[in-house]
Amino acid sequence: MAKRNKFSFMLATVFTVIALFSAACSNNSTNAPDNSPNNTAGEATDAPKKNVTLTYSIWDKIQQPAMEAIAKEFTAENPNIKIKVEVIPWGDYWTKMSAAAPSGTLPDVFWMHGGQFVKYASGNFLEPITGKVQAGEIDLNNYAADLATIYTLNGENYGVPKDFDTIGLAYNKELFDQANIPYPDDTWDYAKLAETAKQLSQPDKGIYGFGAKLDTQTGYWNDILANGGSILSSDLSKSGYDDPASIEALKARYQMILDGASPTHQQMTDTEATEMFKSGRLAMIFDGSWRISDIDSSEIIKGKWDWAKLPSGKVKRGNIINGLGNVMSAGGKNKEEAWLFLKFLGSQKAAEITAEMGAAIPAFNGTQDAWLTSRPHLNLKIFTEQVADAIPYPSGSESYPVWFAKEPEIMSQAWGGAIAVEEAAKKVAEMMNQAITEAK
Amino acid sequence: MNSRSRYVWAYFMIAPTLIGTLVFWGWPVLQSIMLGFQQSENFGLVNHWVGFDNYVKLFRDEEFWQNLRNTLYYVVLFVPITLILSTIFAVLLNTKIKGLSIYRVIFFLPQVTMPAAAAMVWVVLFAQDFGLVNHLLGTRVAWLSNSNYAMFVLVIVGVWGAIGLNMLLILAGLQGIPKSLYEAADIDGAKRFNKFRYITIPMLTPTLFFTSIILLIGATQIFDSIFLIIGKTNVALPSVRSLVYAYYQNSFVYFNPNYGAAIINVLLLINLVLTGIQFAFQKKWVVYD
Repeated sequence: MAKRNKFSFMLATVFTVIALFSAACSNNSTNAPDNSPNNTAGEATDAPKKNVTLTYSIWDKIQQPAMEAIAKEFTAENPNIKIKVEVIPWGDYWTKMSAAAPSGTLPDVFWMHGGQFVKYASGNFLEPITGKVQAGEIDLNNYAADLATIYTLNGENYGVPKDFDTIGLAYNKELFDQANIPYPDDTWDYAKLAETAKQLSQPDKGIYGFGAKLDTQTGYWNDILANGGSILSSDLSKSGYDDPASIEALKARYQMILDGASPTHQQMTDTEATEMFKSGRLAMIFDGSWRISDIDSSEIIKGKWDWAKLPSGKVKRGNIINGLGNVMSAGGKNKEEAWLFLKFLGSQKAAEITAEMGAAIPAFNGTQDAWLTSRPHLNLKIFTEQVADAIPYPSGSESYPVWFAKEPEIMSQAWGGAIAVEEAAKKVAEMMNQAITEAK
Repeated sequence: MNSRSRYVWAYFMIAPTLIGTLVFWGWPVLQSIMLGFQQSENFGLVNHWVGFDNYVKLFRDEEFWQNLRNTLYYVVLFVPITLILSTIFAVLLNTKIKGLSIYRVIFFLPQVTMPAAAAMVWVVLFAQDFGLVNHLLGTRVAWLSNSNYAMFVLVIVGVWGAIGLNMLLILAGLQGIPKSLYEAADIDGAKRFNKFRYITIPMLTPTLFFTSIILLIGATQIFDSIFLIIGKTNVALPSVRSLVYAYYQNSFVYFNPNYGAAIINVLLLINLVLTGIQFAFQKKWVVYD
């Protein structure tokens, strides 16, 4: 009898567990009626549109309000499609995407970067839009500076250009006024920058003339280009870091830390250089057009700062233009709706919202003027004017994600003073060349 | 019930845990062992067998040996310190003092604190310019970016975080020691230290053995504090970079999961050997009554 009791107890337990599980499962399905076609079949009379929610992944929190405004506008036009804007910080973005791609869980629509594009497109994780382009649903000639070509592989189009960005010199007017030094203008060269940075520095007060940060696109890549060096050879086959002109430019930047004209690498690791600028502790810094609204949101320097062109170097004025694109996943469940949203993201309307909210320089031709006046107190035209000086962001090869991830680890050894700048530059060149060979 | 149907029932009852373990633990382990002998393309959807190529490359990589030394250095510092401090705190908290549970909560608190949040606080404490540590010591040491000190910071943070749980385990071990032994010792007139030395410690050895294994395995897998406190552009990174950190970098940042898997497989082997050694030596010092 006792044995039997134990047995029935076990049986009862097992059934309880099973019951709980199935209850949980059925709960789930009743909680999400939006996706079930049955639910909406009744109300839709002429066009059986199902209610879907698309995920739109971006990496820039600063642009989130603008992206949400665009999504809202889109939902107003397409009430059955809701958009969830999801921000994944840049530091985790590609790690997450590389896990999501093979498991088929890429977001429906997401931001693409020129450096990562080749990997995703060649793996067939992105939905080609060539057919839609040929059918005339979208005209890629609407976008500035050939930006659409960034997201083209083997004749197939994958991306709709979203925006472009260039680099400028941000300066704190108040610190210049206090020192009675005229503001930077387009006559400046790198010697003038270094000299003025020294004059403006007051290390005892924690104020420095320039943030000579360890950074590529908003850092020494511009110096290298201005000095006649290169990041990659034009056929993308060889690193330019070991070019004497590149090394000279890197050394000149590091020298500003040694001169006390810039905070140390450790200080700029503890507090990001842009944050120092925002708190009025840096007189000058290079930064990208995507940081404008972020810097302008600082109460401390609001109204006391402006932009100038980058200084010119020995050879020319350096700058880098990069354009982001919107792409859609090839494995999405609601590709038709995703295409509608992707098309809307590439529309003039979306570009205008981007421009008016000052989120980024929109790629759509003719909408840039709205962006220029989005913040009339700032000299934003330096960003569009410098497009002529700029070279495209040196991505576009399969080895880019590898060497770009390793580069700061080596350069930080130089910036932290553990090895000489020249040694680090040569190590980077060696590492890049190896990565390029291995990717072939 | 015959014995066969009883086995069937037994497996049925452990099925939820067993399936979970196999799916979320067994399968990934198997996969990462396989990855170490493969070359993957297209985010791991295409894999070729390459034999020991990844390991040959690994053993020729200076950085790997440096990472291995860093990891072992951390283990050698972290495990004994944590074990000793946890034992001391457990013994102290095993007495009848006022506010006992408050102390236990305080010591256990690091265990339930979000590691990322705690790491940020440590970063502020050890900051060069306005850090509390430098303020108290009257120094201006760059604790986090000096390759001589960064490892000690990691050990301090690690010990701080580990004491809570291990103290609890040892506390449970202490309370499992029969009171009669101490009573007998009292009758014999044993001194306090002798009671600790000849009753507490021997009776505690099974618990200490268990915690030392757990600690050792955990310590070889140090990653989060390096990631959060040191960071990837820190000049001191090469002197603290652990095997798991290198695994993460290779697998998820450089997109080379095969090289990463090779690193982690070597670590798995090291852990198996170390645990085997511990088991072999347990006869010498662990007392089971």
